[in-house]
Amino acid sequence: MLEVSGLQVDYGAIRAVRDISLTLAEGELVTLLGANGAGKSSTLMCIAGALPASAGSIRLEGTDVTSARPEAMVRRGVATVPETRDVFPDLTVDENLRLGAYTRRADAKGVDEDRARLFEMFPVLSERADQPGGTLSGGEQQMLVIARAMMSRPRFLLLDEPSLGLAPTIVDQIFDMIATLKRSGLTILLVEQNASKALAVADRAYVMRLGKIEAEGTAAEIAAATDLKALYLAG
Amino acid sequence: MTVFLQFLIDVLSLGSAYALMALGLVIVYGILRLVNFAYGELIMVAGYTMYLVSPSGLPWLAMAAVAVLMAVVAGIATDYVAFRPVRAKSVTAVLITSFAFSTLLQNAALLFISPRPRNVPLPEIFSETIQFAGVITPARNVITIVAAVLLLAVFSWLMRRTVIGIAMRAAATNFTMARMLGVPANLIISTAFAISGLLAGVVSILWIGRIGAVVPGIGLEPLLIAFIATVIGGMRSLQGAVLGGFLLAFMDTTLNFTLPQDLLKFRDAFTFSLVILILLWRPEGLIKGPATGRRT
Amino acid sequence: MRGNLLTLAILGGLVLILVVVANLLGVRLFDRIAINLCIALILVLGLQVFMGNSGILNFAHIGFMGIGAYTSAVLTIPTQMRGMSLPDLYPVLAAIDVHPLVGILIGGLVAAAVAAVVAYPLMRLSDAAAVITSFALLVVLHTIMTHWSAVTNGPRTLFGLPKVTDLPLAAGAAVLAIVAALAFKESRAGLLLRASRDDEIAADAMGAHIPRLRWQAFVLGALLAGIGGALWGHFITSFSPKAFFLKETFVILGMLVIGGANTVTGAVIGAVIVTTAFESLRALESTINRAEIFSEQVVGLTEIVLALSMIAVLILRPGGLFATHEIGALLGRRARKTEDRP
Repeated sequence: MLEVSGLQVDYGAIRAVRDISLTLAEGELVTLLGANGAGKSSTLMCIAGALPASAGSIRLEGTDVTSARPEAMVRRGVATVPETRDVFPDLTVDENLRLGAYTRRADAKGVDEDRARLFEMFPVLSERADQPGGTLSGGEQQMLVIARAMMSRPRFLLLDEPSLGLAPTIVDQIFDMIATLKRSGLTILLVEQNASKALAVADRAYVMRLGKIEAEGTAAEIAAATDLKALYLAG
Repeated sequence: MTVFLQFLIDVLSLGSAYALMALGLVIVYGILRLVNFAYGELIMVAGYTMYLVSPSGLPWLAMAAVAVLMAVVAGIATDYVAFRPVRAKSVTAVLITSFAFSTLLQNAALLFISPRPRNVPLPEIFSETIQFAGVITPARNVITIVAAVLLLAVFSWLMRRTVIGIAMRAAATNFTMARMLGVPANLIISTAFAISGLLAGVVSILWIGRIGAVVPGIGLEPLLIAFIATVIGGMRSLQGAVLGGFLLAFMDTTLNFTLPQDLLKFRDAFTFSLVILILLWRPEGLIKGPATGRRT
Repeated sequence: MRGNLLTLAILGGLVLILVVVANLLGVRLFDRIAINLCIALILVLGLQVFMGNSGILNFAHIGFMGIGAYTSAVLTIPTQMRGMSLPDLYPVLAAIDVHPLVGILIGGLVAAAVAAVVAYPLMRLSDAAAVITSFALLVVLHTIMTHWSAVTNGPRTLFGLPKVTDLPLAAGAAVLAIVAALAFKESRAGLLLRASRDDEIAADAMGAHIPRLRWQAFVLGALLAGIGGALWGHFITSFSPKAFFLKETFVILGMLVIGGANTVTGAVIGAVIVTTAFESLRALESTINRAEIFSEQVVGLTEIVLALSMIAVLILRPGGLFATHEIGALLGRRARKTEDRP
């Protein structure tokens, strides 16, 4: 479904991502692991259209989307949850969700249905529906942005470090949610530093280091690999 | 009591005009973080449109509508000419291009119309006076207050209740994230400029109503007013801009009443020094805008 | 260092050629244009010192030009005339009479002093706040100049300055300004300031105190603006506060933007190009007006062309014509490249 080939992302003179190739089949949950600065987020944001690629190609269901803008990617069924969470703090929870369905705004009934469904799935959001997004706790905000992403009825979800900065119990909740989303048939690319939680839920994994892919395989294979620690600690 | 009421009406009507001016400027600044130096010229465009359309004999309201429409068009043109081509390059570049565009429009009026003031048709109702509770005031003042209240109400509704309003507020907070939800960047920006033009157009009619004529440089004073009001109130907060407008009107009217005669002509120096002081104290203005929504 | 000397030689040489040619031609018109160009050079270079090194847009520059002009005027208008030009002048100042050259120098120093005092707190600000405060400062300066009648004759024209500025003086000052701009750019302050644009934290770690560095650049810029303003005053001999506001700001800014704000070469070349274009367009305007091709006077054509050029340059070459390298460095590189070829 998604084919990334020879991707290169630069920040001015700094090459954050060099020659990355990865694939995702429909319905798979693939996780991108690696230490800080490995280039995982840059890869994800480039796929999302928020960062330009200096070289390489990205193909979504056969169509070349390498230079697609973020708005266009959403229309193609891709939803992104960036690392910075980016809840709109002055908008209420409800307004945040409505905005997530921007591309479907003509279908008022469908949007309402989805909102109801997501409120069921995330009851805490339903309680805080009229509160400004900025007043939510970290975990609640993470749930909000995932729910918001789901409002566009994506077929493909890009998740960047959902566990960052969250307490372990909340992280468990988030990952339960991710597992549920996977079961519903969503294709997910998950960038994570928390390797064990990610591998527990993923089908396949890639490990990045200093902008390149150092290892790839099924989740089980990568989990068993002994040099995982070395990869993290060495940089 | 009458003096107080007079003062109140003065402040409210002046504040209404100022608030609309400020809002027109902030709506672009809030989303783009860019100051539109050509904003005053939108007011100029509306004024000159009234002048050019007046021989047509249309009813005044129709002419006013055309003038506002032209201001909207000029606003969108500002986006395409001065902002869009250089937005990605640098913040400084955009400031300079909008400054250049402002000069361009002013001198176009100078060249193609005239450097001398041109009369603008005004409806009789503007010069009629209304009397109540012992206060006499031009009807125009009351119309300004009513117009401002109406526009602000509509605008508020737009920002809160419609999807595009929510999208604009989101874009003002975090443009990239809004785009990642599918909000089309260009449409939002064009809409912001169009609304800016609309507000400028309405302000133009009310403002020129005080003077009766239009000159190429007429946009400068409203621009400065909008600047100050925005800075005082909060450069990224729409409510702040409105508040700033009323505060500024209050300050100006008070200074007018209280400054000794020989210091009065320095009033602008006072106000702008105040602007500098406020910015030193609070670089984002008195009312903080939305947080950027970033965790770090 | 070699590159900088080469730059100095080329730019200084350009100014000298200008002077020689104007002298040879002996036409008053070209003399006037050349002097105006030299004064514009000084002003643009003053702006470049601050904007090119700090990266911040500065709208207040022309205000300091006015301070220099008015200061020198107050001190140098012959005492007999002063009673007429500045009837309300404070007795203390009315008595002072200095040689115009001294007046010009003092004009520059006063401008620098005002800048030193007023601008220091503003240097902490960045981005939009910095730009808006500089704009506010321009308005404050302009308002004061327009209404402090005792010293400036208010909004009316101030006349009576001794006409001292001739081509050698203007050109000499221009060359000195080039030296000053290059010297600051390569000084520790200049280097640190430019480094801080790219990475504030790293520069901080190297001991750069950014507001203080900006302040130094700002004061130097104001000094040049003041001197340029005073020189201009002694050339044109009469002026009003209207000469120190938005239109002039726009032209000087245009010169810098088109030439390239980051380089001294850019400032110089920008001034040359814009002055040439300006004078040509003005000449065109007056020819059209004299020939009465259009029923009304053609006015504003020059500004329109300038505005369009600025927009075009910013779109096509956002850094200006000389965006990163001084001309000495560019030519030096080309020479080295041919040396390396076998």
